[in-house]
Amino acid sequence: MTDLTLFQLVGVFLFCVGIFGLVRRKTLVGMFIALELMINGAGLSIVAAAQLTQGDAVTGQLAALFVMGLAAAEATLMLAIILVVVKRFKHSKADGISQLRG
Amino acid sequence: MEILAKTTFAFYCLIICAGSVLAVTSGSLVRALVGLIAVMIAVAGMYLLLAAPFIAFMQVLIYVGGVSVLIFFAIMLSRASTEGDEAGPVSFRKTVNAFACLLVPAVILSLIIIQHPATALNVAPNVAPQLLGEAMLGAYLLPFELISVVLFAAMAGAVLVAWRKRGGK
Repeated sequence: MTDLTLFQLVGVFLFCVGIFGLVRRKTLVGMFIALELMINGAGLSIVAAAQLTQGDAVTGQLAALFVMGLAAAEATLMLAIILVVVKRFKHSKADGISQLRG
Repeated sequence: MEILAKTTFAFYCLIICAGSVLAVTSGSLVRALVGLIAVMIAVAGMYLLLAAPFIAFMQVLIYVGGVSVLIFFAIMLSRASTEGDEAGPVSFRKTVNAFACLLVPAVILSLIIIQHPATALNVAPNVAPQLLGEAMLGAYLLPFELISVVLFAAMAGAVLVAWRKRGGK
């Protein structure tokens, strides 16, 4: 088993644990934490593929940087959405949020 | 040196396993966040093992320094206490569903990775940060500018969404 395979298996592990948490968690914040796990797994897989294959290493590392930037943007938006949901529903349980009104 | 690298890899793997399990199963969201931070730092260590020190530095700076603080704010502002929403027992059906969702990508991706391994290099190339900067301002100028626009839109939208609700109450 090559080094690349090992790194990518770790990435798959992080992604799958993230999916597990995403389905199992009850609150929006818990789902958000699981989502960050998934993004980390994807980033690790991208960098491993960039560094350990014949592909261009610069492009791969830039892709990982862009993933990080998008994750930061997504985190701020999630914070705002959770804030609004908590203000309106007094909790952040995903099952209880079924009303969509402006 | 080979032994040392393998040992370090196993150590980081251990931290990632323990931290991610803590992050998805802990009843307290603050403990889950601590597990997530451990995972992020271990992934930064993996980047160092892959000879990508700049990415590792950015991982610590953005995730450990920025995103985790945002998550902590979300925990604080949603008033999630240890007796709060996440603490009660999870229904058996939900856990079974979660395992089913976990198994499908785990089996498919692992089979593909193991059965069709890409031709791998033994030693990762060391990319200087200068090359990254030149690529970012050369061939990838448009994505670089676009991501700053996306960040600005996200931040402005977050402020707008949170602020209008407060004014409307």
